[in-house]
Amino acid sequence: MAYEEGFSIEKNSVEGAKMSASQDRATTANLTYDELAGLKAERELVLLIGPAHPGSGHMKIKVWMDGDIIQRVDPDIGFVHRTTEKLSENRLYIKAIPIVERVMLPDTINANLAYVIALERLLGIEPTPRAQYLRTLTSEINRITSHLYGIGLYGIFLGSSTVYMWAFADREPLIDLLEEISGARITYSYIIPGGVRWDLPAGFKERAETVLQYMEARLKDYEKIWVKNPVVMDRTEGVGIVSKSDAIRLGITGPNLRASGVDYDTRRAKPYAAYPNLDFNVPTFSEGDCYARLLQRVEEIEQSIRIIRQVLKDIPDGRIISDDIYSKMNPLQKRMYEMKHRVMFPAYMASMRPAAGRSTASVEAGRGEIFFYLVSNGDKVPFRFRWVTPSFLNLPFFTHVMVGQHLADLPAIYGSSDYFPPEADR
Amino acid sequence: MGGGADGVAYFGNLEKVSKKAVSFLKKQGYVKSMINWGDKFSLWPVHLMTSCCGTEFAAASGPRFDLERLGFLPFGGPRQTNLIVIEGTTTLKMARSVRIVWEQMPAPKWVIAMGACAMDGGIFYDSYNTVPARDIVPVDIFLAGCPPRPEALARAVVMLQESIVKNRPPAADIQVTAAPATSGSKDVVEAVSK
Repeated sequence: MAYEEGFSIEKNSVEGAKMSASQDRATTANLTYDELAGLKAERELVLLIGPAHPGSGHMKIKVWMDGDIIQRVDPDIGFVHRTTEKLSENRLYIKAIPIVERVMLPDTINANLAYVIALERLLGIEPTPRAQYLRTLTSEINRITSHLYGIGLYGIFLGSSTVYMWAFADREPLIDLLEEISGARITYSYIIPGGVRWDLPAGFKERAETVLQYMEARLKDYEKIWVKNPVVMDRTEGVGIVSKSDAIRLGITGPNLRASGVDYDTRRAKPYAAYPNLDFNVPTFSEGDCYARLLQRVEEIEQSIRIIRQVLKDIPDGRIISDDIYSKMNPLQKRMYEMKHRVMFPAYMASMRPAAGRSTASVEAGRGEIFFYLVSNGDKVPFRFRWVTPSFLNLPFFTHVMVGQHLADLPAIYGSSDYFPPEADR
Repeated sequence: MGGGADGVAYFGNLEKVSKKAVSFLKKQGYVKSMINWGDKFSLWPVHLMTSCCGTEFAAASGPRFDLERLGFLPFGGPRQTNLIVIEGTTTLKMARSVRIVWEQMPAPKWVIAMGACAMDGGIFYDSYNTVPARDIVPVDIFLAGCPPRPEALARAVVMLQESIVKNRPPAADIQVTAAPATSGSKDVVEAVSK
């Protein structure tokens, strides 16, 4: 049937389903195997969910159904493909920072950090210890806001508006902290080659401690209304199970991988920033169901709070920008740095020409591992700019997990993966 | 005023009076202002996230900014909504969906183009896969920022409310054109045209 793609039921109409139902009632005993298979194919129904649908985000999910049971899932991505790789290959190195941030908007610091680490490896610059700690601090605060974003949207998917309201309210104090450091609400562009752009403002540690205490108190409330909620547990326990071997085979990453029992965290496996000096656990769950993925994020928030406390306690004094960059500043910029602890971009930033070569970087973002691959041929712009985002790696998850589940469980599974389409489409 | 033989009291010509009342209300603009008032506080945006400004849209619906106090309630089905907020970049693939959703919405309907990308491409101005919002649907309010803060979105909603009251043409002058049948099969189009 030549329906336009979009808002119709493909392949088999409602009449087809009715017909096959009436055939079911008739005897099927004397049908051949092929006829039975044909009957099954006739019963199949294709649903198109999204992109204008609260349960899909910026993507379309094609679902083949047999009755209420999902037979096959085909996520139709590319609705937010903004060609960041090609754009970055035509921009100066420093101008790629805002572009990678726009792609991972709830989690901008980690995207920024991954790119800058790859760029630093290309340039051969090493950031100062204080800058490393500041990077870790902002990265962890951003991880909490990213997880709260995921928890809030999962609340919407499970029909619990209360949790959405709570999570988005509790995100705000943490965003305020980052705003205080960097001056922006969501898109910070805080991390630059050689260090960071601003130092901690006066009295930041006390305010951060207040927010952390508030967050810890709130996590206990979340336990009552969200984590131990019987409705939430009924809808998520035993739903969408990914076994350990499947998680590895499918290449799932981040909290979804750890919720399946794989003890892998980029922060520990390939340490960067100040993580080698910090003491933290990597929580894992063996169940691999939606409930484990939900708990995983709550546990990670607790660990992030622990890391932030250590960073605020141990942060060393010193410059926030490496000597390589500091020596390239003009006298006015140096005076500005001494007065306000603020890095103004030296002219060098606009004319960086890394030596020919290639570099990679991996960073554990809120949704999993970001991987960067840069190739320079000695020009002002990258010769090749390639990055793999965690949401894209988590995409095979849908096709694998949703098969055999009820249609009503689709939002529960989709929400549990904390999938962010702009991140996957780049 | 007079009395009938069968005890019925007549208070003037009812038909005449009602016509007078209608013309009075029309002339004074009470009916129009009533409709405007209703539209002003029931701007329901459709749940269509085109791009990354959607995170700030979500924050704007959250408790700190709480746009629901302005009657701004995100809603699932396009048929029940009267506002599209185009959140940032629209790719070629998404543009088609935006257009279909806009055509599905009943008139009167409004569009807010949120963010620099929706205005003129923004940071992705030279991308091969993006379309400015104004090429897809008629835009009422442009909202600057990358991404705009939730307060800015609230300001855009207030500006739209003001423009509904001030600039709206009288009901007779609003031209409702039939949406071109870009979607649906021939049978559906024929059924509708009958």
